[in-house]
Amino acid sequence: MTDAPLTPREEDDALAAEYVLGVLALDERLAVEQRLKSDSDFALLVARWVAHFAPLNEAYATVPVPPDLLPKIESRLFPKTAKLRFGWRTWLAGAVTAAAIVVGALVLMPPTAPGTIIASLGTDSSSLIYEARHDGSNLLVTRVAGTPAPDGQTHELWVIAPGAAPVSLGLLGVDPLDVEYPRPPAGWVLAVSVEPAGGSPTGAPTGPVILTAEL
Amino acid sequence: MNATAPTRTEVCLLLERVALQDRGAFRSLYTEAGPKLMGVLLRILGTRSEAEDALQEVFTRVWLRAGRFDPTRGAGMTWLVAMSRNHAIDRLRARKPEQNDDDAAALIPDTAPRAESQLIAKGEARRISECFDTLEPARADAVRGAYLDGLSYDALALRHDIPLNTMRTWLRRSLLKLKECLDQ
Repeated sequence: MTDAPLTPREEDDALAAEYVLGVLALDERLAVEQRLKSDSDFALLVARWVAHFAPLNEAYATVPVPPDLLPKIESRLFPKTAKLRFGWRTWLAGAVTAAAIVVGALVLMPPTAPGTIIASLGTDSSSLIYEARHDGSNLLVTRVAGTPAPDGQTHELWVIAPGAAPVSLGLLGVDPLDVEYPRPPAGWVLAVSVEPAGGSPTGAPTGPVILTAEL
Repeated sequence: MNATAPTRTEVCLLLERVALQDRGAFRSLYTEAGPKLMGVLLRILGTRSEAEDALQEVFTRVWLRAGRFDPTRGAGMTWLVAMSRNHAIDRLRARKPEQNDDDAAALIPDTAPRAESQLIAKGEARRISECFDTLEPARADAVRGAYLDGLSYDALALRHDIPLNTMRTWLRRSLLKLKECLDQ
């Protein structure tokens, strides 16, 4: 080992290892995840480190899972249509009332940033606007106006298939949300709720729904 | 659900069926892999409630992303653990800095050799275990600790009581040395 500066290849390899180890800060992790989508050589370095470190997984204990968790997951993914359709519609009706007038505009515009704009989430009663894009593999949601949720709270993004319960796509903080997700078809709804820091503790929206947009 | 111990092959087969939207396979996969993934999430996140919340999120992603699993690039369980670690680490890093400091302090271990040093010496883990032996013990421990506990550079610097930049240089060199050994 020498103290010479790392070569670019070594830099990349070290970065891939740091990402797999998990030592990077959130902004650095997000930058790596962005790069993984377009740089297949780098993705291979990451895959190699995942394989190299995999034997360490043996050290993770197995911990019994509570019996009520699987039904919760299933009800998120496979809602019983009749009952839950009513559920999410009621939920959405509340959202619409809360937000006064919902401007959920489907915008068909040529892409100016990565991906195509698939929805703009905003209301005329607040200055907060999120813009949702899809680049073919990922959904990217960026705050284009307004401020993030205050301390102790977070905005959470939900997708709702017709007749299904809301499924969380992630938290909307200071940085854009970039999540692997198929492009939601027409008729699906994107919604933003206000949740405690760290996101909804229940797996379903618990706070007020402030923005929605039907695709 | 399944009396036999989970094997890699079973998890791979289940993932392939989940990719085809097979809900029965999804249940079986939860039974097979859930306890292991719960162990990963609990160790990194530290509390049962957050680990349970994260497990729901992980299995939601498993359902949505199973089609991306490529068995030629690694074992099914490795893919599931990687997804769980990534999600848990993203959650940790999204916490406020002062929370991270608390967690780091809570995670500072005693200096006794860690149990996993022995565990990973078994079976297929021999190779990385041998390569860890080429590192100074403190550095090998830093790498293992980072991986298993999801420690950030900040937390590692605190744990090993050295400046952040030194920690980073030190760990990057160790990783490249490890790689040299693994590639031999």
